[in-house]
Amino acid sequence: MTILLIEDEPKTGDYLQRGLAESGFAVRLARNGRDGLAIAREGGIDLVVLDVMLPGMDGWQVLAALRGAPATEQIPVLFLTARDEVHDRVRGLELGADDYLVKPFAFVELVARLRTLLRRGPVREDELIRIGGLEIDVIRRRVRRDGTPVVLTAQEFALLHLLARREGQVLSRSLIASQVWDMNFDSDTNVIDAAVRRLRRKIDDPFPQKLIHTRRGMGYVCEVEPAAGA
Amino acid sequence: MRGGTGGRRVMAGLRGSLAARVTAMFVLIVALAAAGLGTWLYLSFVAEIERRDDLALLGKLRQIQLLLGRPGAAGLLRTQPDLFRDTMSGQENSLVRFVAPDGTVLADINPGDERYPIPPATGATPGRGAIASWTSRAGAPGRVVAGTARLGSGTATPTVTVIVARAYADRSAMLTRFRHRIAGAAAISALAAALCAAWMLHRGLRPLRVVARHAALVRPGTLGHRLEAGDAPSELQPLVGALNAMLARLQEGYARLSAFSADLAHEFRTPVANLLGQSQVMLARPRSTAEYEGLLASNIEELERLARMIESMLFLARAGQDEVAPASQPLRALDELAKVADFYEGMAEDRGLHLACAGDGVVLADPALLRRALANLLSNAVRHASPGSTIVLRAEAGAGGTTLSVENTGTPIAPEHLPHLFERFYRADAARGHGDASTGLGLSIVRAIMALHGGTATVHAGEDRVRFTLHFPAGGHGQR
Repeated sequence: MTILLIEDEPKTGDYLQRGLAESGFAVRLARNGRDGLAIAREGGIDLVVLDVMLPGMDGWQVLAALRGAPATEQIPVLFLTARDEVHDRVRGLELGADDYLVKPFAFVELVARLRTLLRRGPVREDELIRIGGLEIDVIRRRVRRDGTPVVLTAQEFALLHLLARREGQVLSRSLIASQVWDMNFDSDTNVIDAAVRRLRRKIDDPFPQKLIHTRRGMGYVCEVEPAAGA
Repeated sequence: MRGGTGGRRVMAGLRGSLAARVTAMFVLIVALAAAGLGTWLYLSFVAEIERRDDLALLGKLRQIQLLLGRPGAAGLLRTQPDLFRDTMSGQENSLVRFVAPDGTVLADINPGDERYPIPPATGATPGRGAIASWTSRAGAPGRVVAGTARLGSGTATPTVTVIVARAYADRSAMLTRFRHRIAGAAAISALAAALCAAWMLHRGLRPLRVVARHAALVRPGTLGHRLEAGDAPSELQPLVGALNAMLARLQEGYARLSAFSADLAHEFRTPVANLLGQSQVMLARPRSTAEYEGLLASNIEELERLARMIESMLFLARAGQDEVAPASQPLRALDELAKVADFYEGMAEDRGLHLACAGDGVVLADPALLRRALANLLSNAVRHASPGSTIVLRAEAGAGGTTLSVENTGTPIAPEHLPHLFERFYRADAARGHGDASTGLGLSIVRAIMALHGGTATVHAGEDRVRFTLHFPAGGHGQR
């Protein structure tokens, strides 16, 4: 998966390139809109991460140029913007951006959104999710751990389902608040911590193998930790 | 300089300048008055001159009649007609004609060969009414009168008709000069009036310029100054008063903004100081990877706090400028309360708190904004409630609208804090506030959200109970 990153701010460009590479993407970095457009036209790009404020040719123009050519019009584009006025977002989405992220953003959230964009098309919901000894029956809303049924509240189930569905991905607190509770603003982070603590009490505490892990400063991830954790 | 400016203003048009407009009106009035007075004086003067001339003409006629009545006058008339003309005191333009009863012209003294009408002789002593007008060849006005006279002395003296005429060439020249003078005088008085008016207006409008000069001196740092209304005329007092009131409002707003900036700097300084300090301490000597990881995680927490604050600030700034348009829709109040309660349930349980939702009603609100406001209130309540207590979320529908409230038992809030709780960065407990998720902006955001909906946010504090109330008016928000 090759991501084209068009970002003029040197530090931002560098850390994003590094972070995305470490997250398993091939990254090509362009420091201005013209170069970015040229790279996109060469082909082989699966996704474009586009900064709006660029010297010379700004993000809107790059996006318009991408959408105006048959070779590039299908490439998903995620906007990075420091401006979050509603009309800016609307303009970006109208021009054909697929998603946008307002600076400052959590890096894990960027990665989560990129994965979602790259996984586009009808997402098939697994009916049964298995992680380690955990079994989640999505249709019947039943959870078993090592064969023992675990009774969860509706919210606990929604939280577990989200974490399990995104197995291995670090999910930021704001993403969790938004997906599980429909709270789309930067709320009290303690709320998510408390909710995860309650879920852990039922899912992890009685069992030797832990599945829900805290990534300090980033969020939570659900996975079977490699050998070191055992 | 000032006069030049005034003159140019007049030239530039009457619309722009009050002084020019008033001056022009004044000049017009003065010019009309002067012209009217001049015309009246002139006409009276002309009438008087004419009267005197007519009397003189009749006098001449009388004189000639007397001359004709002397013995030997008939002979003289035949031999020395000029003698009669000389009696007209040598005035060249005096014309005399003697006509015999049978119509023959006995003598005609008329060197310029003027043609004038012969009015009928009404008797020996005609009045002014018998005088006729004529115009000389040179175009000068003339007067003519006829009278009868006895020629010579004796009993059988014949009666002759004497016609005396005069052209007043000098008079029309004089009257022309007089007219010019009157016109000149009217013009000069108008000009003088214009100058006087301009000067008086300039003086009269000085208070206005003083106000303008003072207003020009108003700067952010001098908002405390007020315009002086001491010697301003009564018409200007309301203007000065209004400007001063405006200054007072600006000063208050500016002071609030300054205080807010100071608060803001303070609030931003704390996390930045933490970031700088702990990073520098950490880099001062080699550390273990775990320590570096700890530092980074701690830095991320500080940065997240900063990001939240910036986001909240932006929200407040936009809400203050009505840039946030609430997408209001009818919502079941209890559902919304339950939703937010559900969100905080874990946190509440951790602190041994119970959440209870009660009541009913419908609110017309933007769901995202309403949730945000309720979340801020509940977050406060959960943080301050006494362990083991119950936080009650209640919805009440009344005639004036729907009221949502969040009530908790806990540390009482001192009454002096209550009016300030919704202010930005205001913290009832000065020692608290750092190191937790609070940005000090939560309640400000609640109030801003309520203002967007045309509603109000209030707080009531009892002995150990604190209740925050959100009132949504029945008719929806009033702003849009």
